[in-house]
Amino acid sequence: MKRKTARMIDTALTHLILIAVCFIFLFPCLWLILASFSKSGSIYSFKGFFPQEYSLDTFRNLFTDTEMYNYPQWFRNTLFIAVMSCLLGSFLVILTAYTMSRFQFSGRKMIMKTTLVLGMFPSFMGMIAVYIIMTQFGLINKMWGLILIYSANAPMGYLTQKGFFDTIPISIDEAARIDGATNLQVFYKINLPLSLPIIVYTALTSFVFPWSDFILPKLLLKEKDLYTVAVGLMNLGETEFSRFAAGSVFIAVPIVILYFCLMKFFVNGMTFGAVKG
Amino acid sequence: MKKIGSMILAGILIVGMMSGCGGTGTEQSAPETVDGDAKEIGADAAELKGIYSGELERGVTIRVLENDTAISEGYFQELIDAFNEKYAEYGIVAVDANMDQYSNLADDGPYGYGPDVLYQANDVLMKYVEGKHIYPIPAQSMSCYDMIPQAAWDAYRADVDGTEYIMGVPVNIQSSMLFYRKDMLPDNWETEWDKNGNQIPDMAESWNDMYRYSKEIVDRGEGKFGYMRSLYDVYFSSGFLFSYGGYVFGDNNTDATDIGFAAGDAAVGANVILQQAELMNEDCIDDSVTVSAYSKLADGTYFATMTTPDVTSLFLRELTNVYEKEGLSAEEAEKKAEENLVVTQVPKLPASGDLTEENPELIPLKTMGGVNGYAISAYTKAPNACLAFVEFATDYEMVMKRHEYLGIVPARSDAAQAAGGISEIIYRNLDQGDIVIMPSIREIEQVWTPAQTFFQDLAKDAFRTTDKKYTSIDLIKEGLESVDQQIYDAIHTLAGGQ
Repeated sequence: MKRKTARMIDTALTHLILIAVCFIFLFPCLWLILASFSKSGSIYSFKGFFPQEYSLDTFRNLFTDTEMYNYPQWFRNTLFIAVMSCLLGSFLVILTAYTMSRFQFSGRKMIMKTTLVLGMFPSFMGMIAVYIIMTQFGLINKMWGLILIYSANAPMGYLTQKGFFDTIPISIDEAARIDGATNLQVFYKINLPLSLPIIVYTALTSFVFPWSDFILPKLLLKEKDLYTVAVGLMNLGETEFSRFAAGSVFIAVPIVILYFCLMKFFVNGMTFGAVKG
Repeated sequence: MKKIGSMILAGILIVGMMSGCGGTGTEQSAPETVDGDAKEIGADAAELKGIYSGELERGVTIRVLENDTAISEGYFQELIDAFNEKYAEYGIVAVDANMDQYSNLADDGPYGYGPDVLYQANDVLMKYVEGKHIYPIPAQSMSCYDMIPQAAWDAYRADVDGTEYIMGVPVNIQSSMLFYRKDMLPDNWETEWDKNGNQIPDMAESWNDMYRYSKEIVDRGEGKFGYMRSLYDVYFSSGFLFSYGGYVFGDNNTDATDIGFAAGDAAVGANVILQQAELMNEDCIDDSVTVSAYSKLADGTYFATMTTPDVTSLFLRELTNVYEKEGLSAEEAEKKAEENLVVTQVPKLPASGDLTEENPELIPLKTMGGVNGYAISAYTKAPNACLAFVEFATDYEMVMKRHEYLGIVPARSDAAQAAGGISEIIYRNLDQGDIVIMPSIREIEQVWTPAQTFFQDLAKDAFRTTDKKYTSIDLIKEGLESVDQQIYDAIHTLAGGQ
């Protein structure tokens, strides 16, 4: 009886803490979502924490009132940059990680150590250098300039992917080679299907970073028509708070869709080959 | 081996760290492309012909950086359409630079991404002078020269290598105005609040009456306020110091070795701010009032505020929304908002600095002002076409259009006179010296933070209960002297003498 009571108290306490933590994390999101439906544009017209009146006008204006703040254009730009960076970046990361995991070559250890050390420096440290290099290549005000930087930076974070490839037994590769498979075939016919979860993970992270990055687009994209959502929202006027909130809420939509689309591959990949004995 | 390696690395680290010490040697020089132009700028004024040959470049596109309001209100489109039509035979096309209105020419210009013509405030434009990022203007040969007062031209005057140049063309004078709600005046204001019977309420004429009325509103305990303003804002608060003898830089705002926030009886002016803060809430310490004033004036929380006239449309929009919510039609609401929002010149100050004094001797409040205007980038490939654009945009017709679209106060006397109302008042104040134009020297950059910190601390003092810092004029003066010293140090010591 005593133990049962203790367990109940423990469960109740755990749930209470979880609810409190959920509330702490959810409240800012909830507040932003409610603010995006505020009828008045100003944050100062709120009654306490929440808007006084709600309407869909802000979302309507976000997509129709585009003379000064062209959100649909910013959205298209961001989507293009994120999708292309995701494709190119994922491809490069997977190749790098696979090479580091499966092949032995001179300087491999040195390269791994160097990338590890380089990865410790914050990316914005090289911003001035990046800016000057991009001016020399004529890649300022070009979305492809951003895509190249994001994609070229992506392989620096190959360690997680390498860790995954390391867990796939090398004996599978050897068996395939005995059957006459080439290196390329071993990669895309054997290892790639087994690596679906890490590919999905790589794709997601390669998409999310350019999607929400502010510093690099602010540095390289000077023209308003080329703004990404993050830069555009930062440039909104001071009386445009509900537009800012609506834009911030809407920006989460593609990530959520992408997450749900890729979820099944994530799970499938995890269980792929698990029953083989 | 490891030891030697460690020693070498440690040595490199020490050398790297020490390289930050010592003087800056030479000032940061402009990029190579600028140097070529710089020689022309530094040459005799007569040699401006080296920049402006007088022959229009054909088939060129000029990128113009305008402010967001001019674009959103449709004025800029009208301007470039008219210009493009006039210069079509030369193939000159003016387009929107399509950049952030606050973008920095010094960052983008040298790499070829900056605009050709810029419209910005005088302190922003003049910071480009030292880096030679903008071309001087042959002002005296322009048709607007005689129409613009010298005080406005002075904002663009610069001494480059011993020669004096005009670096921009004034278009719009910015200064503080009082905004208040006519429908929030007491019902009996005509009998009780208009001592001189001039049909202007006393609170709009004297800060003492504004103080008295604010106190009356606050004492009602309804959570409403009379006059409200973000007091930390140097642009608006420094005028109270100027009115009692303070100044930013000596020698007509050109001598950065003489800093005068504490000069004369400036402390008396600072005490006026402290008295005002006592009738506000803590929002006055930071920018909360600035940002919320539009909606709070509209919903009746504030009776009055002080700001620049270019934001009148924002106040009107909010007030119209409130009236619409109360059930008026859009047209009626707009009309009522225009009737009830009064924009007028700022009230006068008591010579004694005591806001509670009855029947005080009044002195005008000097306000800080700015002059927005056009400048031409030193990186443009078509200076003559740019000059033609500036000439076109500053002629009477376009300035009047700008006034109609944006409610700006024209720097041209003929346009100010034709516009009447606020424009005439501000123009007159500038002429009388009641508007102190923001200094145009680069050292102004070092003024804002120390002064802002002081005003913030001063406003905070009104809400301190036990440990009040500014309990006497002498203590306020000490605070202002400390601001002067901080600014001096920032300019002459910390920033390497600029």
